[in-house]
Amino acid sequence: MPGEVHVRIVRKIRVKNSLGLHTRPAASIVKLLQPRKASVYFTHKNETINARSIMSILMLAAKKNAVIEVTVEGEDAELTMQHLLNAFDMEFGEK
Amino acid sequence: MPPEEEEIIFRGIPISKGIGIGFPIFFAGAEDQVLEVAIPKKEIDLEIDRYRKALDLSRKDVETLQRLSLREDPPEIGSILGTHLEMMQDPLLTSVIEERIRGTQCNTESIFHHIIEEYKERFSTLQDHYFQERVRDIVDVSRRILGHLRPLERIKMGEVPHNSIILTHELVPSETIEANPSLVSAFVTTAGGITSHAAIIARAKGIPYVANVDIKQLKKLQVHSLIVDGSQGFVILNPTRQTLKKYQEIQKGHLKNYKVLKSASHLKGETIDGYEVRIFANLENPKEIDQLLKAGASGIGLFRSEYLFLSRKAFPSEEEQFVIYKRMVKSLKGRPLVIRVFDIGGDKKIDLPSHHPDAKYFTAIGHELNPSLGCRAIRFLLRYPEILHVQLRAILRASYYGEIHILIPMVSDISEVRIVRQTVEEVREALRKSGGKAAKRLPIGCMIEVPSSAIMCDALAEEVDFLSIGTNDLIQYVLAADRSNSSTSDLYFTTHPSILRLIRMVVAAANRARKSIIFCGECDTSMIPLLIGFGIREFSVAARHIPLIKHTIRKWRILDACRLAEEALEYSSAQELKQFLATHKR
Repeated sequence: MPGEVHVRIVRKIRVKNSLGLHTRPAASIVKLLQPRKASVYFTHKNETINARSIMSILMLAAKKNAVIEVTVEGEDAELTMQHLLNAFDMEFGEK
Repeated sequence: MPPEEEEIIFRGIPISKGIGIGFPIFFAGAEDQVLEVAIPKKEIDLEIDRYRKALDLSRKDVETLQRLSLREDPPEIGSILGTHLEMMQDPLLTSVIEERIRGTQCNTESIFHHIIEEYKERFSTLQDHYFQERVRDIVDVSRRILGHLRPLERIKMGEVPHNSIILTHELVPSETIEANPSLVSAFVTTAGGITSHAAIIARAKGIPYVANVDIKQLKKLQVHSLIVDGSQGFVILNPTRQTLKKYQEIQKGHLKNYKVLKSASHLKGETIDGYEVRIFANLENPKEIDQLLKAGASGIGLFRSEYLFLSRKAFPSEEEQFVIYKRMVKSLKGRPLVIRVFDIGGDKKIDLPSHHPDAKYFTAIGHELNPSLGCRAIRFLLRYPEILHVQLRAILRASYYGEIHILIPMVSDISEVRIVRQTVEEVREALRKSGGKAAKRLPIGCMIEVPSSAIMCDALAEEVDFLSIGTNDLIQYVLAADRSNSSTSDLYFTTHPSILRLIRMVVAAANRARKSIIFCGECDTSMIPLLIGFGIREFSVAARHIPLIKHTIRKWRILDACRLAEEALEYSSAQELKQFLATHKR
């Protein structure tokens, strides 16, 4: 499509909250991504999953201090990544 | 497909004796035995539509629950329900399932079932306890959706038609307890061993039961009627007129035998030379007291109080418990009532929905890899002292109306007994202050069913007022053989020499400390003379076995029994011992 900018960003993010990526953080990630267009993938311990699925995020079993490789692809990639960084940094509101 | 009249015989493990003749009722848990059915290409869209509708109805369920919970429940519950809603919108439960329905052209139930099993598998291999625990949410959500896919298959055990033969993958105790013996003629299951709790209940109710039969295979056949032979382990589908006649004869014979025995039920349990042996009854359902008195019981030697919880799927309040215990002790008219405090956990668990107020007790413990060695019985009660408090208070209040004893299950260390004793005193004091009445004396006993407590029986005997040997668990723990696992139930011998030695040791310790000892559990009649020979004078068994036990005791002299016991101790293998006992059966 003309005008569409295809951006792909890969960042490593550390899980800071004490229980890791459990149900609530997973739910808040999915919610946060709902209005975004980019496709988002998490990679942890050689496993890559779709970050729009709570059950898939849970399956990563990422604990505190795990490092997740986050791949965001799409026109709003930059903004989406920014939102994600914030959420991880704020420990999903648990701090 | 076999012709209508063809008789087919399946062979399983006999679990509960007797002959059941009746009609098949396939009893399904929401997730087991999902049939795989191919869907014609034209109907794929309809099938997907059916799944979407089930998902939609499930969402509406949860939304309603969420609205209700906003009013009264703590906010955590609302947020759990919120997560469930999110899960129902998860691509893994929406687009992935739809794609698979299209790809495999199979019915939704089977695909949904496969995917859920995959997730369960994945989560259960995770090392982290916390994440493992999330499986419960997934199971909960999937149950709800499956329930909407198959809304007609939920039958209640207490509401089946007359002459029903229940066919199911596995029986859980809470369902078995609901079964009405005048409606249910027999049970047939795929899983389950001789001494699972469900089996014990089936025997207590006198419902024939055969396990280890492939129900899935059976379901594929046309079954009009069937015979279950719980003594031999046969399940006969569509019996011929001849077979039917043969079994009806056997059934009549059983009934006659039982009547002969029953006429002996009001005789004393005593040996030929006049040694008295008291026979008490085990009880799960308080409504069955009349039956056990009719069978000639000297009282209730083991009231499995956890069934109050299992049958109503919630912890009963102090008042509810008080009313039940009081009514029980009154109808016993002076005979003792031994209440075993809640033995919850192990295979006595129920899956409560996560919004249930009592679910928190179980979610905090989580999925246990080895539940029989986990947080069950007294461990559970000490973890949640509020539950123990309520129960003890109800017991103390009821003790004013008759003779009640308290029995502590699964003691593995003396400290557990001491804590309970102290708690009883505290509760008694609080009760006194508030003007409540209780019996002056409330004997406290300890179950010997863990090897450590059998080994420490002398110290325990000093500490408690009575001991109670629970053979079912003791055997499973001593022999390291899972009693409900069909491939280890061969190892599970009531007559194992190690068990005999332990029993002798425990009886001796109780006698030295001058405390009474009661033998609880099921045993082969060939064991009875042995046990009296060791010095046991009190038994507690399922009510319907009382006449038989009395009958056996009345055939022996105490001296012969002692000699038999001494001789039996010389055998070193279970097999030899079994043969020896069989040759000395009277």
